[in-house]
Amino acid sequence: MFRFQSFDDDCTLEGEEGLVEEEDEIDQFNDDTFGAGAIDDDWQEEHTRLAELDERVRDPVDNTHSTNNVQPSSLPPPSSSSQLFPDVDGRAGGDLAESLTRLLLGSDPAIAGVGSASSDRSRLPQMLSAHPPHPSVLTGQPRLLLSYHQQQQQQQHLLHRGSAPLAQINSHSIWENNMGFSPVSVNAGLISQSEDKTLMSIIREVGLPNRPQTISREDGRDFSERVPPPRSSSPVIGSPPVRAVPIGTPPKQTLSQVLNQNNHPSAVHVRASVPLRYPPPFPERLSPNNLLSIAKSPLPHPPFPAGVNPVLSHIQRAQLLNSQVGHFPRAPPLLQGGVGGFRPFFGQPGPRVGPHCPPLPHAPIRHNTTHLHPQHRRMLNQRMQMQNRGDHVGSRGLGERKNRDPYSNLMTQREKEWVAKIQMMQLQSTDPYLDDYYYQNYYEKMEKRQERDRDTRKEHATKLITPQVAKLEHTYRPVQFAGSLGKLTVSSVNNPRKMIDAVVTSRTDDEEKREKQVWNKRRQILYTVEKMYSLLLEVQDFEKKFLQTPEHQREALLEQHKTHTLQLYNSLREKEWDDRVSDEQCLMIMSVRKGKRLISRLLPFLPQPQAAAVLMAIARNLPVLAKKDKQDQVLCWLVEPITTVIQSMSSTSLTDLLQELQASEGQLPLVLQNKFGVTLLYMILSEGERMQSSDPNCQLMDDNRWTELVFSVTRELLKVPSSLLSPPLFTPSNLLNLFSRYTDRQRLTLLQDKIQSVLLTTG
Amino acid sequence: MNYMPGTASLIEDIDKKHLVLLRDGRTLIGILRSIDQFANLVLHQTVERIHVGKKFGDIPRGIFVVRGENVVLLGEVDLDKECDQILQRVSIEEILEEQRTEQQAKQESERIKLQAVKERGLSIPKSDALDDF
Repeated sequence: MFRFQSFDDDCTLEGEEGLVEEEDEIDQFNDDTFGAGAIDDDWQEEHTRLAELDERVRDPVDNTHSTNNVQPSSLPPPSSSSQLFPDVDGRAGGDLAESLTRLLLGSDPAIAGVGSASSDRSRLPQMLSAHPPHPSVLTGQPRLLLSYHQQQQQQQHLLHRGSAPLAQINSHSIWENNMGFSPVSVNAGLISQSEDKTLMSIIREVGLPNRPQTISREDGRDFSERVPPPRSSSPVIGSPPVRAVPIGTPPKQTLSQVLNQNNHPSAVHVRASVPLRYPPPFPERLSPNNLLSIAKSPLPHPPFPAGVNPVLSHIQRAQLLNSQVGHFPRAPPLLQGGVGGFRPFFGQPGPRVGPHCPPLPHAPIRHNTTHLHPQHRRMLNQRMQMQNRGDHVGSRGLGERKNRDPYSNLMTQREKEWVAKIQMMQLQSTDPYLDDYYYQNYYEKMEKRQERDRDTRKEHATKLITPQVAKLEHTYRPVQFAGSLGKLTVSSVNNPRKMIDAVVTSRTDDEEKREKQVWNKRRQILYTVEKMYSLLLEVQDFEKKFLQTPEHQREALLEQHKTHTLQLYNSLREKEWDDRVSDEQCLMIMSVRKGKRLISRLLPFLPQPQAAAVLMAIARNLPVLAKKDKQDQVLCWLVEPITTVIQSMSSTSLTDLLQELQASEGQLPLVLQNKFGVTLLYMILSEGERMQSSDPNCQLMDDNRWTELVFSVTRELLKVPSSLLSPPLFTPSNLLNLFSRYTDRQRLTLLQDKIQSVLLTTG
Repeated sequence: MNYMPGTASLIEDIDKKHLVLLRDGRTLIGILRSIDQFANLVLHQTVERIHVGKKFGDIPRGIFVVRGENVVLLGEVDLDKECDQILQRVSIEEILEEQRTEQQAKQESERIKLQAVKERGLSIPKSDALDDF
């Protein structure tokens, strides 16, 4: 149940253009190299111009100039490029190559050789000269640049100012440490982390000062303050615009690295201070500076309205989902951590947990939107508190131990939250009854039990309001361009491309049935049973669903229910126009174990006449059924629903039923030999007796049928040897009364003995 | 900070010593450093522990990255309880020797069983699909 979250790109193109306008310098260069200025064919002139640029490269202030100036030959002919992409003219000319490299090489993790700078280098000139064909780059480009825009402005300026169009693999730098390096170190950091070999060679010549130690590959460095290599995780061509970071990417580390300097005073990061602002929505770009500043200056009140109801309504939930869950819950943990002085929350609860326990229940940390039952949450809080109390005692020793572990917190807070978020996303459900049936039922039962036991205490009668996540349709439609020939040629993990248009031809139901008939009749029966089962389950779940759907949808649900039940009835009929329950069909179904179970579950849902008809069919064919049931022995499942049916039967139908039971020759003895048969017989007789005794005017005695039938039963009972008489599931108490009406004393005692002896032999 | 209330998650287990049982029968003991949504594990200072009878031997292995689907179970090791053990620790060579002997004995018994079954005219199909050790 893994769902992409839609990412609201609220950045506009204006921002991008605004940015670009500031860098006139670069534009000028690019214009000269690619645009109008490059048409000039005079190589000598070009060379001198480029030589000037080259000198500037050596200037450490405006350092990070690109290598494109060093390799002019590898650049694509500008005119054709501007022709290909007419809509993005002068601006495009400048940024085109830049974005190309970014997107093609650095961005798409599936394309780029991750982390292998050398391959990037070798690929770069080839790629450029090969003239990347797809226009999708440009659609990707605004997005990419838009995401840039979201970055801190400061960094952006540095980026663009410091870099010339090409070779700077700027994609890496977006996802750089948001540590906000000071200007000098930023550039240095950027360069080093981009691992641009040719650029580096220049820099080495020049001798750039003070590359931060973080990247040095010294041995024995402390892992706690590591800076991970740049991860290629930029937006991808043609992917659905859900998020800038593909979901498989762990977040960059932020907080804990900063935090760990408490333990490792040798940290060398230089941090520029950033004005205080609230953390942006999860998961991106929560700069540790922001966090720190928030934390260190404790806010007088939580940054979100205190009245946030933990149980959100349906709409709020969907909104939350769409706007990236976790926005609210982020603040309280920060707050708590900040108030007490900054500590990594995890692993060092320490004595500071105490003052923070109370706020916890009010602002539950919730990365998920499926709510816990209030009882459940209460239990969890209790458990947590107990744990914390236990931790209190043990944490002193443990905490010290953890302090000394230099490899701790390799997994940063953000990464943990990221994993937790993914796991929570998997728990979201649109149909809690379907996904978490046992959990729901367990708590329902508990509620009922509590209500039963203590009616007075109202606090326990908390109802579980299970919110249902709105089912968001996330159909991925690959990027296509009007007028373009065919599909994207570039496909990657994130935007897979259909290679073959395979059409699925499914066989129709008729054909399927025919084939199965040819093969195996049993299979067909099972197939029918399966279909009926799914209908039955729908019908059975109807009640629950009914309670959950909102008012206006109930009509529709009711209709649906009716159709389902109708279909169920129809499936028992043999032919479409015949209204009676088909014997054959019933028999067929009941020849299978599953079918018997099905019938037993189905009977309660059938209306009286149909249920009676089913019962007749069963009675009529009891010997056959009994024989087929020899292996399974599950006919007795039917007893319970049949009891209900019998009790609601009229006297005539009852008589009919009894008659059916003895319809054919020698049927009754066989019936008596089967447990179910005997039980059924007794039930019928008992019901008849009940009718007679309770209502003296009952129609049972109107015709002699009943009496005659009972006579025959008694005769048979007496005839059949005790050994063959099968013990019933239960013996109704009023049987003797019945027999006493119809038989004389002698026979009565005989019958009594027989029944009891049978019971004794089994009991 | 309670990461995932009401659920089972490995996040709380990070930076703690764990014992991991793999599908191929190996037992690894290491400090759990990192996880992901598939329960792929990164174990640090891992030791492969071989158990034969009442003896066990440790082979230091370094860093392990275990793919989540290969894990049968894992659990945190109580550092206090780890000290007092009924099992006897032996050297690596010895435990490997013991393991070899055990394997041989097992194979031998299997062979005899197969033979006996064949003599009676039956056959036991070999189940290659099972994770067997």
